[in-house]
Amino acid sequence: MSEVLFSGQLALAAFIAAANYALIAIGLNLVYGTMRLLNVAHGDIVMLGGYGGYWLFTLLGLSPLLSLVLIAGLAGLLGIITYRGLFRRMLLERRPTARIESNSLLMFFGLSIILQNAAALLFTSTPRGYVYLDRVIALGAVSVTGNRLAAALVAVLIIAAVFLFLRFHPSGLAIRGLIEQREAAAIVGVNIDKVQTASFAVGFGSAAVAGTLISMSSQVSPFMGFPFTIAAFVVVILGGLGNFGGGIIAAVVLGMIETYGVALTSSTWHSILLYGVFVAVLLFRPQGLFGRGKVAR
Amino acid sequence: MSLLRDLVLILLGLAAIAIAGFFANDYWIGFGIALLAAIALTESWAILSALSGYISLGHVVFYGLGAYLVVVTWGVIWLPFALLLAAIGACGFAFAIGLPVLRVRGPYFVILTFGVAELVKYALIAIEAALGHASRLVLGAPDPIVILYILLGAATLATLLAAGVRLTNLGHGLRALREDEEAAETLGVPAAQYKLAAFVISAAIPGLVGGAMALRATYFEPNTAFDPMISFAMIAMTIIGGSDDLRGPVLGAILLTGLSEVLWDVAPHAYMLILGILLLVFVRFLPEGLSGLIRRAH
Repeated sequence: MSEVLFSGQLALAAFIAAANYALIAIGLNLVYGTMRLLNVAHGDIVMLGGYGGYWLFTLLGLSPLLSLVLIAGLAGLLGIITYRGLFRRMLLERRPTARIESNSLLMFFGLSIILQNAAALLFTSTPRGYVYLDRVIALGAVSVTGNRLAAALVAVLIIAAVFLFLRFHPSGLAIRGLIEQREAAAIVGVNIDKVQTASFAVGFGSAAVAGTLISMSSQVSPFMGFPFTIAAFVVVILGGLGNFGGGIIAAVVLGMIETYGVALTSSTWHSILLYGVFVAVLLFRPQGLFGRGKVAR
Repeated sequence: MSLLRDLVLILLGLAAIAIAGFFANDYWIGFGIALLAAIALTESWAILSALSGYISLGHVVFYGLGAYLVVVTWGVIWLPFALLLAAIGACGFAFAIGLPVLRVRGPYFVILTFGVAELVKYALIAIEAALGHASRLVLGAPDPIVILYILLGAATLATLLAAGVRLTNLGHGLRALREDEEAAETLGVPAAQYKLAAFVISAAIPGLVGGAMALRATYFEPNTAFDPMISFAMIAMTIIGGSDDLRGPVLGAILLTGLSEVLWDVAPHAYMLILGILLLVFVRFLPEGLSGLIRRAH
């Protein structure tokens, strides 16, 4: 057993899972951080991105590594439409309260059901996959298929780009300002409406890109989204609200729990582990791994 | 009193179903079962979620546990005892998890209840697999008409419980918590006890209904008995009907059970799609639901 646990193979699997989760969680963290909206349809945007990658590859032969640019744009547009149509007025009229937060969660849940069933109507429930970069690459004693490695590397690149954007770009700084001090940000002239629009666009766009990357190595189906939403929640809450660096560490923790947990037990335990960690985090550590007094809820 | 008027109207409606049950054919008995189950579930759900504002997205956990208890004890103990066990088991589970879960607020509570229900589902799948069961069959399940009358009892009980809670201090206290939990606590509302009481009360009937519906299905399979869409249907029905009074959940249950009857068999995805759209529109633009629309029209 111990040689399995210390193998590079598992470490690489944990790294790939972590890169995935970190990328998915960034978008959720942005939307929750800036607006206190828990987007439970987040995983369904991942699903849509997966279908985008599948169809563009199957119909047009477009490489998912290229099509993800187009998919990010389309999903960003969907995010802007969602914000303008459903949430803008509600958020600009009043300060978010627990009631509004619960209501908006129900609206996202409605959206989630709509996206899942629209996908099932349009694409049928049959899981779909395609073959792309499936050559096995040997890295020393560790081997991995090209598509999983490429997806993880692209995820890391995108995460790095988002980090640089949040750190140096004026709009990125405005987003962080809004997350930390909403009122103060408004006073110093941050255009709240613009930042919220951008958060929706980047949040939806990055989720869809994650879906396209996932479609390179796994099948996509209309109801695949919810576990991704839950995983992203775990990462966001553990890492700390609005704390993107903490999110990376949390994604690594979750990737390791999942990979090593399944290796130690069996694959039927995957869902128990995921939901168990989720419930435990909400009950015992809602302030995250690094937070002290400030509770995210 | 509009509460008493609603209560009398609903009970009269249930009495009419009781009489119609004698003359109904198989199709209408099936429809009656679906409708009564929906009324019982929505009225129970509203006791916690509509009154206190703690929106549970995991009430299917009580339904599923009830189903499991009835199916496991099938043929071992007398059915009325099994149904009682289902209700008590659901309450017991609510009591056991209530205090820590109800400390979590707002959207985090919503998503936590969902997580708890899914966790119990997957844990039960693992337990059943370890016991060598993928699913369990109920041999010699009672006639549908018997199940109709069991659910009629469940719907009546749920309505009486919902009316009772609204009439007592518990109901007023829960409403106060919904408006402002800190302020209500300062004024002496025992928040933790009231929330726990509402949680336990709202779990009982879903446990019973789950047990009865497992007999109707004549089998138990965790993925169906703990289907998150059952929780979702409770929420959608109550919010579309209007969650603040007694008749709202009934209106929502009638509308959506009717819609489901027309669409579910031919186009289940289209039905769910419409449900999602209705929920979105009602939460955003008509938060008072159908009942609120009727009230304003008068």
